[in-house]
Order: sequence, then C-alpha cells, then structure tokens
Amino acid sequence: MQSAPYPIIDLDLSAPLDRHRAEVKPEWIDWNGHMNVGFYVVAFDQATDTLCQQFGCGFEYTRDKIGMTFVLEAHVTYDREVKQGDPLRITTQILDHDAKRLHFFHAMYHATEGYLAATNELMLMNIDYASRRAAPWPDFAMTRIEKLVAAHAALARPRQAGRLIGIRKK
Amino acid sequence: MLDSLPYELPELVTRAPLDTHRSTVLPEWVDWNGHMNVAFYVSAFDQASGAFMRNMGLGRRYVDGKLGMTFVLETHVTYDREMKGGAPMRFTTQLLACDAKRVHLFHEMYHAEQGYLAATNEAIVMNIDYATRRSAPWPAPVAWRLEAIWETHKTLTRPAKAGRVMGLARR
Repeated sequence: MQSAPYPIIDLDLSAPLDRHRAEVKPEWIDWNGHMNVGFYVVAFDQATDTLCQQFGCGFEYTRDKIGMTFVLEAHVTYDREVKQGDPLRITTQILDHDAKRLHFFHAMYHATEGYLAATNELMLMNIDYASRRAAPWPDFAMTRIEKLVAAHAALARPRQAGRLIGIRKK
Repeated sequence: MLDSLPYELPELVTRAPLDTHRSTVLPEWVDWNGHMNVAFYVSAFDQASGAFMRNMGLGRRYVDGKLGMTFVLETHVTYDREMKGGAPMRFTTQLLACDAKRVHLFHEMYHAEQGYLAATNEAIVMNIDYATRRSAPWPAPVAWRLEAIWETHKTLTRPAKAGRVMGLARR
C-alpha cells in the first residue's frame, strides 16, 4: 500500500523519540503501594502506540482494517518504584528492523525527578488484518521507519538491551 | 532474616513443575486487536508468580502483616499465540535457580482446553524487607520450603525458551 487512507502526523526525527508522557493511575497500584508489574507494560504499550503513530500504524491502521502490530517478545527491567500520580516520560530508540519486524527499546523515567524507573525491549511484527498473519510493512510505513532508523543509528546501544535473565552468583 | 512467620503455611507442593494456577482472560484485558493485550499477559503471569510465592509461604498475609514483599526485578515474555476474552488459562512454573534473596522462575501459559502454548514468562523475583523496602534474605521457613522445591525442580530440563536474547535473526 503506497499511502495511508488517513493523515499521518509529521515525522519526529529527534533521537531517541521523546514524545510520550503519562501519569500513574490509581488502578495501576497494587498491594505493595506501587505501580504493579503488569501496568508498567500497559504504560510501555501506550508508548509503543506513540511510536507506531510515527509511521502510520497506530489506531487508524486497525480501525480501517489494514493491519495490526503484534508484540512477539518483550523484556522488562524494573529499576525503581513509581507511585500513584507520578508523571512518566518514556523515550524510544529503534534498534533494528526488517521487512516485517521492528526491534526497539523504551526507557521510562520519572518525569520530574528524572530517575530511570524501567526499561522495555520489544520485538514488534506487522500483521495483515484479513489473514491475521505476518506481512511486510506497507510502503507508507516502511518509508518512515527507514527515516527513523537513520535518525536513531548514531545512538549508543542501551546497556539494558539484549539482556539475558539470570541470577549471577556472587 | 525472619526466623518464623506468624501465620499457618499452606501444604507444600513440591511437584515439578508447579501446575496449580488457573485463570481466565478477563474482558477488560482485551485490546483493539480483539485479543489479550501484551500487558495483561504479564498481569496473568504475575498472578502465577503469586501462586508460586504462596507455595513458598509468602503472599497477601506476608504483606498485610508488614513482614515483607516480593518485587519483580526483570521479566522476559514470549508471545506465542493469541488468547481471546474468556479463554481459560493453565500455567506451569519451573524454578530455574534460587539464592538467599531471589528466585528465577519460568512460567508457561497454555490454553486450558485447546492445550496450545500461548506465552512464556521468565522472571526474577526478590524478597524485600517491609520496613526498609530493600532486599533481604528469605524468612527461614521460606528458605527451607524453597530448598525442598528446588530439590524436585533442579532435575527438570531447562526450557528451550529460557535465557533468550532478543534480536532479528538474519535469514
């Protein structure tokens, strides 16, 4: 598909992408008095939507029955607690891509105190709406993805990316 | 380290893997793609971690008694197949490693009726002292139970999806 049947927002080539803001909702808090592990991923998934809007694969992409994006794999590091009402700032760095997939990395910060709260590395795949199977990114998306990749190419690889889970024996 | 816990502990299950946890995909977990959203797989797995913790002797009473908490440090999820609203889930949990403060768990989520693997989750969970909110050794009865669990889990084959590093394999 050459062009999207809906307007796409202007491409933001600042690197990393630094557009997503959110706030920790009351219903995201668990009995430990902090944001529950599942809702960190809710917050990160909303940042993934912010990223996908950059290349025209946000809500309209599915609403208009063109396609969907499915997460294949996710890795989260929980670095520090956040509490109810805390403002969040999430930055996004693209690490790699191919014809159907996108590999990227989110970093969640406390927006006013500045500390790193969590990171999320993701593998996302483009899905054809009708067949519900993997498919190449549409042209309008790929053109934009390649520009984003070029803009992010000079960034250092985050140290939390490519992690292997384990207990290191001391 | 706490020497004892002021509540009765449940009967210890040392069966390996642990396979007691069951759940259902809630309607509010379904997203605009018509399937369980990625985040709620993690919530569902967190409840499976809770089942493992209860078997260790931890759980709501541990927190409500202001004794301690357990925090997830890191998690890795593979999304293998979609789950729709109302789908029944069955979980298995394998203990991959443990030390004085931490457990390394590997969960598998299956569709409980159709039998397929829906997702896996590898997680590191750490014991936290309630007052200081910092890491602390497991309470003594928990350490003892963990040792008994480890004895049966340590002989299990390591799951193929454990220890994954994410990347685009070039074909």
